[in-house]
Amino acid sequence: MDALVNKRIAKVIKGDQNAFAEIVELYQHQLYQVCFRMLGNKQEAEDIAQEAFMRAYVNIHTFDQNRKFSTWLYRIATNLCIDRIRKKKPDYHLDAEVRGTEGLNMYSKIANEDELPEEELMRMEVQERVQYEISRLPDKYRAAIVLKYIEELPLAEISEILDLPLGTVKTRIHRGREALRKQLSNL
Amino acid sequence: MNTCPENVLELMNHYLDGDLNPSEEQQLKEHLESCPDCREQYQALSKTVAFVQSASHIQAPSDFVQKTMERLPKERQRAGVQR
Repeated sequence: MDALVNKRIAKVIKGDQNAFAEIVELYQHQLYQVCFRMLGNKQEAEDIAQEAFMRAYVNIHTFDQNRKFSTWLYRIATNLCIDRIRKKKPDYHLDAEVRGTEGLNMYSKIANEDELPEEELMRMEVQERVQYEISRLPDKYRAAIVLKYIEELPLAEISEILDLPLGTVKTRIHRGREALRKQLSNL
Repeated sequence: MNTCPENVLELMNHYLDGDLNPSEEQQLKEHLESCPDCREQYQALSKTVAFVQSASHIQAPSDFVQKTMERLPKERQRAGVQR
């Protein structure tokens, strides 16, 4: 797979746009899915996934062909998603930790305030509920949980995509799982 | 009386990551058998994982490739000025 992709990349670098279409064809579903689960909205997912491919195309000469192309693509896409999520939030000091809540910051607080009334939750279809609960996760944990449980990627690869040490990725997955468990305690 | 090992949550988390060695796994299993509270917590965590994994796989819209290609710059950007 990687050898085939690298062949296409070489063609793209030489100016062959059709070779890039083949790359988009190969990775479109993975990338769209990760964007959709991160953003919870089809239009935004489409927009950001396209933007990610566009950036990959423009910067393709910077891709190190000894590495895995999908990791690089995921990295571009998750960064764009996180930027988009942060832009949508009101302008508090979002990264500041909330007092007495180790590791929690304003993002998580805002996320929790979004909670819907119980009767509305009960009416939701399972698929809708899954997406709603993922969307309530602080973005830090959301990326790790989506890559691990939706994309089913190995932890080592997630650590490369998010540019975080393996230990930090594990911590985020643990905290993400714990946050979800609390969110789901009424299920 | 609280007899739960201090690191029991950590053990659960590592177990869910597939990171426990057989003796730690044994330790966790024995504790879960004897402690309803921890067992409940563990079950809730694994239910959470199953819940997230029940998310269906999603496909990009059928015109995704075409639309993406339309968004690309027409000519490859090269270093230096052309023409």
